[in-house]
Amino acid sequence: MTTATTDQTVSTREPRTEGVVHLSPPDSDGIAVLRLGAPSEKVVTFTERRLHSLRDALQGLREHGGLRGLVVTGPAPDMFAAGADISLIEAISDRAEGEAAARLGQSIFAMFELLRVPVVAAIEGPCLGGGLELALSCDVRVASDTPTTSIGLPEVKLGIVPGFGGTQRLPRLVGLPKALDLILQGKMLRPAAARRAGVVDRVVPPQRLLRAAREEVVHLAQHGAKRPRRRLRGAAYWLSRCAPLRGMVQRRVQKTLARGPARFYPAPPRALELCIRAFTESGDAGFQAEARALGELIATPTCKALVRLFFLTERAKRLGKADGSRAVHSAFVLGAGAMGAGIAGLLAGKGIRARLCDLSSAALAAAKGRLQKSLDKRVRRRSLGRHEARAAQDGLAVASEWGRLERTELFLEAVVEDLEVKRKLFTQAIGRGLPEDAVLASNTSSLPIDAMAEGLPNPARVIGMHFFNPPEKMPLVEVIVGPRTSAETVATTCRLAVKLGKFPVVVKDSPGFLVNRCLAPYLNEAARILLEGCDPSELDRAMLEFGLPMGPARLMDEVGFDVALKVSEVMSAAFPERMQPCPLFAAMVEAGHLGAKSGGGILAAGGRAVLRRLRQGTPHQPDREELIARLIYPMVDEAYRCLEDGLVESEDDLDLGLVMGMGFPPFTGGISRYARSVGLGAIVERLRDLAVRHGPRFAPGAGLTGRVEKAP
Amino acid sequence: MAGKTQRSADRELVLVDGCRTPFCKAGTELRATSAADLATHVFREVLDRTGIDPATIDEVILGCAGPASDEANVARVAALRAGIPQRVPAVTVMRNCASGMEALFTAQARLRAGEGEVFLVGGAESMSGFPLLMNDEMVRFFTRLGKARSAVAKVKTLASFRPRFLKPRIAVVEGLTDSVTGLSMGQTAENLAREFEISRQEQDRFAMESHRRAEAALEQGRFGREIAPLTPAPRHDSWVEQDNGVRRGQSLEALAKLKPVFDRHEGDVTVGNACQITDGAVAMLLMSRERADQLHLEPLARVIAQSRAGLDPRVMGLGPVHAAKPALDAAGLELADIDLFEINEAFAAQVLACQRAFQSDEYCREHLGTAGALGEVPSDKLNLNGGAIALGHPIAATGARLVLTLAHELRTRRKRYGMATLCVGGGQGQAVVLEVA
Repeated sequence: MTTATTDQTVSTREPRTEGVVHLSPPDSDGIAVLRLGAPSEKVVTFTERRLHSLRDALQGLREHGGLRGLVVTGPAPDMFAAGADISLIEAISDRAEGEAAARLGQSIFAMFELLRVPVVAAIEGPCLGGGLELALSCDVRVASDTPTTSIGLPEVKLGIVPGFGGTQRLPRLVGLPKALDLILQGKMLRPAAARRAGVVDRVVPPQRLLRAAREEVVHLAQHGAKRPRRRLRGAAYWLSRCAPLRGMVQRRVQKTLARGPARFYPAPPRALELCIRAFTESGDAGFQAEARALGELIATPTCKALVRLFFLTERAKRLGKADGSRAVHSAFVLGAGAMGAGIAGLLAGKGIRARLCDLSSAALAAAKGRLQKSLDKRVRRRSLGRHEARAAQDGLAVASEWGRLERTELFLEAVVEDLEVKRKLFTQAIGRGLPEDAVLASNTSSLPIDAMAEGLPNPARVIGMHFFNPPEKMPLVEVIVGPRTSAETVATTCRLAVKLGKFPVVVKDSPGFLVNRCLAPYLNEAARILLEGCDPSELDRAMLEFGLPMGPARLMDEVGFDVALKVSEVMSAAFPERMQPCPLFAAMVEAGHLGAKSGGGILAAGGRAVLRRLRQGTPHQPDREELIARLIYPMVDEAYRCLEDGLVESEDDLDLGLVMGMGFPPFTGGISRYARSVGLGAIVERLRDLAVRHGPRFAPGAGLTGRVEKAP
Repeated sequence: MAGKTQRSADRELVLVDGCRTPFCKAGTELRATSAADLATHVFREVLDRTGIDPATIDEVILGCAGPASDEANVARVAALRAGIPQRVPAVTVMRNCASGMEALFTAQARLRAGEGEVFLVGGAESMSGFPLLMNDEMVRFFTRLGKARSAVAKVKTLASFRPRFLKPRIAVVEGLTDSVTGLSMGQTAENLAREFEISRQEQDRFAMESHRRAEAALEQGRFGREIAPLTPAPRHDSWVEQDNGVRRGQSLEALAKLKPVFDRHEGDVTVGNACQITDGAVAMLLMSRERADQLHLEPLARVIAQSRAGLDPRVMGLGPVHAAKPALDAAGLELADIDLFEINEAFAAQVLACQRAFQSDEYCREHLGTAGALGEVPSDKLNLNGGAIALGHPIAATGARLVLTLAHELRTRRKRYGMATLCVGGGQGQAVVLEVA
């Protein structure tokens, strides 16, 4: 407890200004403590101001005679430093400027190494990006084992590489393979995993963090050492230091990068190259290369696109903090199909008590089994403790009997798409004691929310919560708002979505909502292109090349032709002039080739036979530009129609919705950024041209044409 | 000898609702589901089914005769896992076979003492989970090995190992042996068969009737009202919704073929006419009548009397007879007033012996101090849905199941008074009298 009191006296000695570091001079032991911000700061980022104050503090420290060591720590519990200021990254659009910023940070962090005394980083809370790079330039790292502590270099997720020495210091500390593992995927480690990886030296309980850091200083000072002796050992040593083996690692990683989605991003290969340099170069050369790479990458449109998406996700998360939102602790899910089961498991995994009801006991057992399987996997991967896994399983009750709903805060139905059934079930829930203020949510993908609320005592609490399949993985939730839905209901639903780790997008109730509506013309057109004679694998390849995670033919197989047919019928009823369903869907359903769930769809032999029978054109290689125009441009048009119809508020919602909901390529920055980079005018022109040649379904809507006219 | 009872006072305990897991033979579907897992499930189900705010519970009381070493206070483990707030205390109670009923007794005592009004009680037992223990020689061997420091000493110690060290002590066998008299429970049943002249055939016929009644109850879905199906650990991908001990179409011939277990030459007690070794759990929500009214809950039954009694461990099977008398006195009823009985079927011989003892002037005079026999417990009032011979006897769960089944059966048959009672290893008996609410 002594450290805690020291802590207090240090923090209350003087009022602290925000945005700068604070140094308390050496105490009687000769140990100075550097705090990276003021206690009132919830998040520490490295702004220019903070970096300069850090430089000044370190310079001042050099002149201290009695200094025996330095402890560097965050401003308050649960915060070390979350990295560079992301709006700074957004603002830099010039290579030289980026490179200079990196050099500045590098030179300041290098001062820790130049100090003659031992420097120990005491880490609690996020220690990410620049925060970890700072810690890496310290001599010893001690971390607190609180759940908020996460350690990593997530820069590649923003399209850049670590620029404050991380690509040089981390590989030298932990070896090439582990460093690549962390840097290329932007992985964040919990304290115990960080210790296993060798990123931190010691993990201690939070109450002992500062004491442990001081012990490390004293220990090194007693031996007159600046830093502990370290060297790589075993496989890490050979794979890093032995040139042929290192080359092997490099080639293997290069291969993986070239194959996966990483091929659309310039940062990972640069990071790889820099990590290799950590072993081939000595002195400043590696650091110079790092700064240069950062400068080049930070100016790329990819970086700007990813930063934009980052801000959009932050914005979506803030929806969960809106006024009037309530936390949900207990939920009732009706319908143990693929969606209901997935959602119920997701709820239980996040500590929300869920009861899943269905008449089919087989479906209920499958739901529990599915949750157990995913929990077992996480336990094996050590990302979850056994007791935590059991708590998640305990949180999910499955039964055919509803019981009483007095304690339920959210009732979510995921049953058959039948308005009458859904309305009856909502009424039944109220009859079983559902509290007045509980949310009534529907996972419908095609029925109007307002019609479900019809006749209920309090229609303001009815809302749509549209998850995507599989709900455990897909990051988007469309929050569907009817004309009578209250703001509190929206806020509570968004808050729950965020709690579940999803990004909510608020969408006005309308057929297909946002994502399915934009997908409908895309899938319809893809089916037509197949009927014209294009090979399904060829078609998929073209769209993968565009950057989508999955081609349209495979998507049809995954979704299932029965579902595709049903959705396309709903959509054509709403928008008959441009969404007539392609006859392929009905033909596939008739032939019994439903897709992956029936053991094969359009990509399998049976499906291809159906295709051959129906094909009108001769088989041909499609022109890729033509494919993009026919598949992506109508999607762009539909997205702007959604905006025009007031389904969503802004282009931001379109961008986040389509990236998270259907995997629109993140490196574009979203569909609106993509459209603007192509040029709205060019798209309109091309669509008009297509309308002439292929039919009026391509005619662009006012959402797009209006914006072209407005543009100068 | 006389049971200690008090008449239900102004504050009366009522049974609001309850449920149980299916009862599954040890080593079958629930073999990997621990007692805490089972109890967690039934606790959660009772909470969900009644919709009660778990914060209103004053104490969780669970019977468990053999908790696993990693969940010694099963009640607390299960309460927390079921989502009951941390500030609600939980206790595990143990009176061998009556542990589940003891939970109800404890709740009653707390209520009378003014120490709470709302109780989640029950019993849970994973007999599959009863361990094999190392024998004393093996324990000493490990102790020596731990103390051996030098390599030579270690080798020497290792060399002292003998195969007999591996012979395990079987917890389930040791648990079912009376440690004062050294008699196994089966031997006490043999004693009763001899004393009351109960033939092997009578015992087998009783066992067959238990299976027949349980089968009928299953077929008519009469257990559906009390069973909460579950998905068993570790994979949770299957569905267990029925008691699996009931042998459909059990015949006398098949029962007659079985060899006696406890006295191989002269005995009558076989695995066929004794209760099964089983996994299962039961939970019940009990509260004061006053509280139930406040919460607008409709109870199933009122607890109007309960009693416990001690007797000679060698004839522990007569426990129900000894416990019934004080319970009836407390309720102000005669044996004939009781409409339905649930007497736990530890052994066919033991239940038959109870029936005879109830009717015996001599036995009742000598042991209960009454003027004559207590009366008759006719078969058409007794264990109408079968008993432990067919359903199994997860030790601590049974006492609670008898009460729950009795409450449901009283309602279904529109009867008024019921008695649930059982014998307890070590020479005790317990009884509860219910009145339909």
